[in-house]
Amino acid sequence: MSVVNNTPNKSNWYFSSILGGLFITAKHLIKNLLNKDKMITLNYPEEKYEYSPRFKGNHVLTVKKDGAIRCTACMLCATNCPAECIKITAAEHNDPTVEKFPIAYEIDVLRCVFCGFCEEACPVDAIRMGPEWQTPGSNGSQFIYDINHLAYRPQLKGGVVSVVDEVERHKSGI
Amino acid sequence: MPKCTINGQEVEVKEGSTIMQAFYQLDQGIAHYCYHPGLSVAGVCRLCVVDIEGNPRPQIACNTVVTEGMKVSNQSEKIKDGVKWILDFHLINHPLDCPICDQAGECGLQEQYMEYGKYNSEMAEPKVKKHKVVDLGPTVVLDSERCILCSRCVRFTDEVSKTNELGLFNRGDKTEIGTFEGKELNNKYSLNTVDICPVGALTSKDFRFRQRVWYLKNSETVCTGCSTGCNVKVYYNKEGAFRVKPVFNENVNGHWMCDEGRDIYKFVNIEHRQTLAHKMIGGQKSEMPAGQAATEAFQVVKSTPSEKLAVVLTGQYTNEEYEAVLKNFKTKNVFHWKNLENSMNDFDGLLIRGDKNPNTKGLEAAMKAAGIHTNWNDLEKSLSSGAITTVVVAGPENLAVYPDFADKVKLMAQAENVIWMTACHSEQFKAFNQSAFVIPTKSYLEKAGTFTNHAGLNQSFKKATTIVSHALTLSEASFLLTGQSIPIAVAPQAAAFVDVDRRADQVMIENRKKNEFVFKRGSL
Repeated sequence: MSVVNNTPNKSNWYFSSILGGLFITAKHLIKNLLNKDKMITLNYPEEKYEYSPRFKGNHVLTVKKDGAIRCTACMLCATNCPAECIKITAAEHNDPTVEKFPIAYEIDVLRCVFCGFCEEACPVDAIRMGPEWQTPGSNGSQFIYDINHLAYRPQLKGGVVSVVDEVERHKSGI
Repeated sequence: MPKCTINGQEVEVKEGSTIMQAFYQLDQGIAHYCYHPGLSVAGVCRLCVVDIEGNPRPQIACNTVVTEGMKVSNQSEKIKDGVKWILDFHLINHPLDCPICDQAGECGLQEQYMEYGKYNSEMAEPKVKKHKVVDLGPTVVLDSERCILCSRCVRFTDEVSKTNELGLFNRGDKTEIGTFEGKELNNKYSLNTVDICPVGALTSKDFRFRQRVWYLKNSETVCTGCSTGCNVKVYYNKEGAFRVKPVFNENVNGHWMCDEGRDIYKFVNIEHRQTLAHKMIGGQKSEMPAGQAATEAFQVVKSTPSEKLAVVLTGQYTNEEYEAVLKNFKTKNVFHWKNLENSMNDFDGLLIRGDKNPNTKGLEAAMKAAGIHTNWNDLEKSLSSGAITTVVVAGPENLAVYPDFADKVKLMAQAENVIWMTACHSEQFKAFNQSAFVIPTKSYLEKAGTFTNHAGLNQSFKKATTIVSHALTLSEASFLLTGQSIPIAVAPQAAAFVDVDRRADQVMIENRKKNEFVFKRGSL
């Protein structure tokens, strides 16, 4: 094994490097002062960055056109979840065409690893990973999200409608 | 005894048996929906087609009798293609809604269409809509769309339960299973139709939507519902037990079990269980773990003269536990608490017996072997006269079949000291207001043992799961109650590390120690 000797040769020529560094800093300062729109930093939290629509943030449970929850409580998301953070309690629905629906759907967000396997497993587009991710909470806040939060939180403005529509599916003979 | 060849393997079968039975005998895989070994042959699903040498067309295996020298195969491309298209016929009107179907995970149709990749329908026409969520009776729900009309359930009610409630109605693709006018599927064996349903058309109301089947583990045990001792599989996970299904045993229950027996998982779950031991001294109640209570109760047993001590046993424990109790308590005052004494010898002709204990025969045999001949009336007399001051009771697990439970608790409460061992909690224990111990015991799912059924057949079963971890088995409790420590069977040293699946080139421990010099970290 060869040994690298890291002891530097004593030199006084560091002064020019410092000047070079200062020059770069000054260049960016002037550039940003003259051209504020192209500045790459943000005044967080007043300004927020817009992520791509494919961003995997907090979960959203979609709804049907009539506003009822789309989930059929098939448990495929809970089965697929590597963090085991989804807990569903299924129940019998009064409408025989719906048959099964979740009376409780809980996601422990602190356990969630945001892998997106749940939305991949879902056969009816009932769960999606939404754009929001800045959901801090102070001590004692609720990190186990229930149906009310997942499907009907104020940010969703009445719920996101699922692309899989039961009525149309029935019409097409499925 | 004709001989035939199945996929190149020769087998000798009984006279008159079908190709399907030959497949079963060889344990060779063959897909089938309508054939069930416990029912007559219908031959409606056509999925079990096989190639017979010398026969131009495929034949169904379930309805073709084996003849001498027959050469059968179901591995050829022709047969695989045939099965694929027969499967497509089954799927014409099947909704394939596996995600919400309760059968998903244990469904014959799901397995087959996944194997053949028939995910999408080949038909241009829409699927025929039928009735969904049809209430057939108190136990079973029907979904006609999922039904593939194998007629297993119809044949079951015709041939086994002989109640004839179900039938096939309408014709062609409008055919549906249903009950006759004014009748409902309400017999003591109705849930067997759910077990034999190859798809998710018939589902049990009790189990429907409670768990996905892939979250459940199963373990074979013996039903404790009555003295028949049916062989069953209990499905459970860490939340408790969820359902019971029969296991084939030719000598005991065949393929079936009764609806009553399917409730035996309920009382073992934590909400019905005695989780902590209760100790009552002079109206002061305290809670403690089972082992501590049993050790403290030993002081009571010790201070009682042996003629004033009585042991009461019920027929709900295993032979091993009876043996230990009778050996440890060296008293002859052992009494057999019989429930439902008048209907003890009832039998409905199929499986259900009036004796609702799994092990009455075992208890009687154990008492006979110990030379104990006692009468229940003697106990009642000596309790009221004060001749017996301490009773040790091994109470029942399944309280539902003990209608005299409250009376018996009050009777025992007459004694100065009561030591009551029970798996299930009951409000009746409030009757104990003097010196009493209530010690939790393990239920039949949490221990291994042997039950002797009505015919004297000994059936051993293994431990399935643990629900109340610190509860004692009756034999453990009897050791503690008599001041002994629980004997722990230590496996012999050599047997402790048996290599079950050792590779031929596996490095043994002693060699590995030598190798540590060679493969020392960093020296390579």
